Amino acid sequence: MTEIYLRSALLSVCLLLLVACSESPPVFHDIERPVRLSDWQLFAVGTNELVPSESSVVFRPNNPLFTDYAHKLRTLWIPQGLKAEIVNDEINYPVGSVLSKTFYYPRASSTMLSKVADSGLQKINLNENQLIETRLLVRKSDGWDAFPYVWNDEQTEAFLRVAGASKQISLLDQGSTQITDFTYFVPNENQCAGCHTTVHPDGDMHPLGAVFSQLNVDSNEIDTGNASPLEQMVQLGWISDEEIFPRSKSWQDPSASLQDRALAYLNMQCGHCHNPEGAADTSGLILDSSQTLAINRGVCKPPVAAGGGAGDLRYAIVPGQPEESILLYRMRSDKPDEMMPELGRSLIHSGGIELISRWIAEMPGAC
Amino acid sequence: MKYSTLRIISIVSATVLLASCGNEEPAMPELSFEEALQEQLIQAKSGDVITIPAGVHEITRSLSLNVSGVTIAGTGIDESILSFKNQVQGAEGLLISANDFVIRDLAIEDTIGDALKINQSTNVQILRVRTEWTNGPLSTNGAYGIYPVQSNNVLIDEAVAIGASDAGIYVGQSSQIIVRNSRAEYNVAGIEIENSTFADVHDNVATNNTGGILVFDLPNLSVQGGRNTRVYNNQIFANNTDNFAPEGNIVASVPAGTGLMIMANDNIEVFENNFEDNNSANVLIVSYLINEIPITDPNYDPFPEAIHLHNNQYTGGGEFPDSEPLALLQAATGQPLPDIIWDGMLAEGKTSADALCFSEAADTSFVSLDASNGFAQPSFDAAVHDCVLPRLTEISMSISSQ
Repeated sequence: MTEIYLRSALLSVCLLLLVACSESPPVFHDIERPVRLSDWQLFAVGTNELVPSESSVVFRPNNPLFTDYAHKLRTLWIPQGLKAEIVNDEINYPVGSVLSKTFYYPRASSTMLSKVADSGLQKINLNENQLIETRLLVRKSDGWDAFPYVWNDEQTEAFLRVAGASKQISLLDQGSTQITDFTYFVPNENQCAGCHTTVHPDGDMHPLGAVFSQLNVDSNEIDTGNASPLEQMVQLGWISDEEIFPRSKSWQDPSASLQDRALAYLNMQCGHCHNPEGAADTSGLILDSSQTLAINRGVCKPPVAAGGGAGDLRYAIVPGQPEESILLYRMRSDKPDEMMPELGRSLIHSGGIELISRWIAEMPGAC
Repeated sequence: MKYSTLRIISIVSATVLLASCGNEEPAMPELSFEEALQEQLIQAKSGDVITIPAGVHEITRSLSLNVSGVTIAGTGIDESILSFKNQVQGAEGLLISANDFVIRDLAIEDTIGDALKINQSTNVQILRVRTEWTNGPLSTNGAYGIYPVQSNNVLIDEAVAIGASDAGIYVGQSSQIIVRNSRAEYNVAGIEIENSTFADVHDNVATNNTGGILVFDLPNLSVQGGRNTRVYNNQIFANNTDNFAPEGNIVASVPAGTGLMIMANDNIEVFENNFEDNNSANVLIVSYLINEIPITDPNYDPFPEAIHLHNNQYTGGGEFPDSEPLALLQAATGQPLPDIIWDGMLAEGKTSADALCFSEAADTSFVSLDASNGFAQPSFDAAVHDCVLPRLTEISMSISSQ
């Protein structure tokens, strides 16, 4: 009798070992809210590496949101045997799907992190990089839910921080050698919903990056040699290949027109709130490209409740005059009460400012 | 015996498990007061009362609540204080998007942006809440103190709002509103009802603001057509603080020394208020056109109509106008400006009586500025406004009082 117990106990030890340390598929939690990221088994934290589960697809969207120059490793996982449906030209993920986004910076030294372009790593070397946080978007039976996990300094585990967290960061610009000290903010769960619920306040949360138009990226655009995320999803049987996938213009696409690039940028950075049903519709400024009336897109539009965010300027956009445009003023600000977007960044995005500045400068007309 | 063997094995297995990954079990982080409070707000269930104990609690990031049916309760308007003096993130102090919400008996101080913003919520009660910037009226203060927007059934009772660089109590794009028994001081706008319908603003004190009470309607918003507001039994005196709003915002155009200002709203009843010593104008009624901003919104009506003033008291005021046309008028007449000032602009086909009716004491003075003709021929003739409009009905709120 004792022997049987012993044997089953030993077996369970082996099972536990397998679960803990070797490749095993992710686990979906519908009701529980795991405190530890490792409970989802999305990654193997091996010898100084964070490696996404082989069952996941690593992807990068066409228009990523700017987050203080953090690099991002995104994964998408659908439980075995399930597949996504295509509804209204959009991916309808099955219950159990888990999206993850891990934010990290390359290390510049023992105390400093590095500001360089995101090279789109498929796995993260933990000696060369510092993990900050991993955000999950999970398709539960009652809809999407968001979970912000924050990595410990040892990079051995990330813990659920319902109320978010903050971290002091010194960032070395590898180009100019300039050092920027700032506070990096991990959003709380409400703030996750702030962007991922685009119909305010009663809409459902939904993904912003793992959508058709964002995923439709040529495989050579992420230097992996792998198939594109959508091709991989087809290969895995997650979606059927009979669909014609829409594609968003990339704000960085040099072949796209300045107008298209600017609108793609504003749509991604601002449109989740500044849409006709979004949390920022109170302002009357609609930046998701759905409006045809120039004033609702900001042209010669006076502010409504901008306070100091108006920067002593009169209109959101003054054609030909970026310096007179509140839109650009708020993009250039890093003061919490003035800056836009309100959340998701502590630093200003020079690439975006350059683009929108040129766009306004070349815009015909006057106020 | 069996159990103890098992226990040993399980301990061994746990140790093996830990050792196998090469780490100790990583330690959970501890939560600060604000993190614990934010976690409570996120995980709240309908019916919960979240208490803020007496004391000054330093908060550095915006707090937010999205769960309906929750009450946030302190122990007193000067006892439970959420201090945002060192706020580093978020455009507001407390952001609410939740129905059946009650907040009471606490203060929100020195937020970097708006203090209490309530967006798209129904059945909202704000009771004995103070929002204040403690360094006095500065343009660097946050824009709004108490700020419900696109919300319905809003009761603000016994609130205090001090130091907002836009409006102390601001209800925007909302309907069914009561603001009462409250005090607004040292804000640019004391109490502002904007692009809203069906509001009662009564028994409040508005003093030392740039403008005491504002009732505005603005174009290019998804909710507009502001109308049906009653402003009564308020004490509106000495609102003479220099305008410290950042340029560009509509309230930056409010002249210092304004008691009550009505812009582009219809069906407004103003009665039994006490206006005193507002240096530009005790009552100022204007069209949106006065701002000289082009109107591109075909659905927008820039003219105030059916404004009804009666049984108000006027004492002093109009002596130091903070507005060029008003100052010129004062210089021309050598008198303090009249109690009631109207810009005189009318929609096509409308008469003066369509815009404004009043039944005030015989010594109440009035001027129509003739703004559409460059203020060329101001008229002091009150007789054309001697008319009576039907009384507006009281706002009754079905939400229970706490």
